[in-house]
Amino acid sequence: MTATPRKLSMKQRYAALTRDLDWDLSYVDPAEAFPYTTFEGITVHDWSQWEDPFRLTIDAYTKYQAEKDKRLYAVLDSFAQSQGHLQLADPRYLNAMKLFLQGVTPLEYAAHRNFAFLARFLNGPGPRFAALCQCEDEIRHAQTEIHTLSNYNKYYGGMHNWHAQHDRVWYLSVPKSYFDDALSAGPFEFLIAIGFSFEYLLTNLLFVPFMSGASFNGDLPTMTFGFSAQSDESRHMTLGLEAIKFLLEQDAGNVPIIQDWIDKWFWRGYRVTSLVAQMLDYMLPRKVMSWKEAFELYFEQQMLGGLFPDLSYYGIKPPRHVSQAMAEKDVLSHQVYWTLYQFSFAAAFTTTIPDEEHLDWLSAQYPDTFDRYYRPLWDKARRVVDSGGRFFYQGLPQLCQVCQIPMLFSEPGDPAMLCQRHSVYRGERYDFCSDGCQWIFDREPEKYVQAWLPVHQIYQGDCGGPTVPDVLAWYGLAEGDSGEYEGSVEQADWKRWHASPAERS
Amino acid sequence: MTTPTKKVREVGVDLQESEENRAIIEAVEADNADCAVRHMPGLVRITTPGRLVINRTSVESRLGRDWETHEFQLAIVSYFGHIAEWDDDQIVIQWDH
Amino acid sequence: MAVRAVGDYDFPSRSRQELYGDDQLVHLWWRNNMWFCAAACFRAPKAMTWGDFRAGMVDPLFSCDPDFGPRTRFEWSVDDQPVTRADSQTLAELGVGHKSLIACRSLG
Repeated sequence: MTATPRKLSMKQRYAALTRDLDWDLSYVDPAEAFPYTTFEGITVHDWSQWEDPFRLTIDAYTKYQAEKDKRLYAVLDSFAQSQGHLQLADPRYLNAMKLFLQGVTPLEYAAHRNFAFLARFLNGPGPRFAALCQCEDEIRHAQTEIHTLSNYNKYYGGMHNWHAQHDRVWYLSVPKSYFDDALSAGPFEFLIAIGFSFEYLLTNLLFVPFMSGASFNGDLPTMTFGFSAQSDESRHMTLGLEAIKFLLEQDAGNVPIIQDWIDKWFWRGYRVTSLVAQMLDYMLPRKVMSWKEAFELYFEQQMLGGLFPDLSYYGIKPPRHVSQAMAEKDVLSHQVYWTLYQFSFAAAFTTTIPDEEHLDWLSAQYPDTFDRYYRPLWDKARRVVDSGGRFFYQGLPQLCQVCQIPMLFSEPGDPAMLCQRHSVYRGERYDFCSDGCQWIFDREPEKYVQAWLPVHQIYQGDCGGPTVPDVLAWYGLAEGDSGEYEGSVEQADWKRWHASPAERS
Repeated sequence: MTTPTKKVREVGVDLQESEENRAIIEAVEADNADCAVRHMPGLVRITTPGRLVINRTSVESRLGRDWETHEFQLAIVSYFGHIAEWDDDQIVIQWDH
Repeated sequence: MAVRAVGDYDFPSRSRQELYGDDQLVHLWWRNNMWFCAAACFRAPKAMTWGDFRAGMVDPLFSCDPDFGPRTRFEWSVDDQPVTRADSQTLAELGVGHKSLIACRSLG
């Protein structure tokens, strides 16, 4: 008579295949094996309190991730086979995806590296395993984003050199420096910076606009990638929320440290989402929603209204400078795209003046600010074009030392006045776009004095040469990648591909 | 003197709108009395005050085959709230405090 | 040291003035003109005259604004202090230091 084998519950199985494989080190000092988890001032008394609600083991992980990949690649193949690249609403849409590939995909890769670091150097087996799964997820995201967009690269410009451009091009130092700041922080700060502040607090503000934009504009592969990755993202959100709750619960002394990190990383991440704001309002031919609406839904309602009341139990308050972000809703996207318009001669995407219908949409979405401050600028830009010119900025902009964005943001309460802040540290002046960035610098000046600011590096001769053409060559830009959309290679190609036989002859 | 009732915050889940997920959506609707279901392009948003539960047996009876709760990962797009429990039979989403 | 670090953490500024030799970075801001999205950053010799700065850097940039012309009048400041300039004065004599903000407001 054979006994029926006893099946372990999901919870038991998970424990057996993850935590219970851990052991106490007897042949080396734990402090030597895990040298990075005390210097930040964070105290952890009991690593076993870390909860992992998804309870995935390696076999379940690989089974479901493989299934997601199969489904995604089937769609990518089908899209390529059906000439899907011709079915976009408008080729101008792709500027959003060029920005995504150049600016976001490398961050997935950077995240993969840092979660690999956590998978080794966190003391507890629970968080180590969770970090390992996220490390695998992030490299998957980098790979699938590249594959998803690779089909467009056969037909359109701006995507062929994203990897080198991420390290060199002026607007890409914004996302790059953001992640470098997190990577060079300690493991706990990284968990709060990326695991929590990025993957929970700000993730919907980044992700949903791009994926909805794809859906509305005929970009089937990106939309499908979005759905495929989102299921991973729900695990990332969980890890981020678990990280913050675990640390807050472990010791009351952690609370002020974490509050400071939330204050810093909300602001740094929010500044990076400036690129999303202009994408939503200006780069999408078919509009999903305005930046203002997205911010109100994904941040104000879901986070300020949902998450922070939950965290107040621990004494955590909403981020410092959040009211400034809320006040900027009506001006942010306009200030950013106006900047990209005049600098796109040096970018790996094109820009153009919004047409009348688009200008009217902007007026309707931003009744308090657009017609008063920004429509006059576009009307004047139109007059320049009508007289045979095209406005490009003849020079390089002043950059913020912290977020590295050109100092294009306005003084709180006055959209017509640029915001200028500065601090002096060891006899040298540093400039900032806002109170938020200045606060970040003042609390850790030793870090930010090391910033590799593109404009300053160009002037030091580190970017290929002294002239603009030298720098653009160093950026690896190809003909048609940059500048004005009207009359571009992309526009000409699109017209030719969609021309009727009569038009072609 | 009555104590003022605390507003119960909503929890929710966004699911991919697909043939396979129809069973999950119907199961969630059946098992969560006060839930609201909204169809948006490509996804379905289900919200409910306080606590949302997904029951394996409820999904299986509508799907017509065995289903393990791990499969929910293929359906989910996003969620708000805290995953309070995830075991062989049930997934529970609610706010902690 | 404000930064919490493993070991020593003391690194020089990546944009300190000595990296520019006899030059400095200077910022130029036309305060009341939204046409320019941000102030400009130039590299200019400390000994550059105001006249050369105006002709070689300011005017080419400002000419991007179709409404700018030789008749546009400005009030100038350096680091928020009003300045009156002669074309022969050097930037250094005018109080322009590394990363100083040269700002102007157009009148009329």
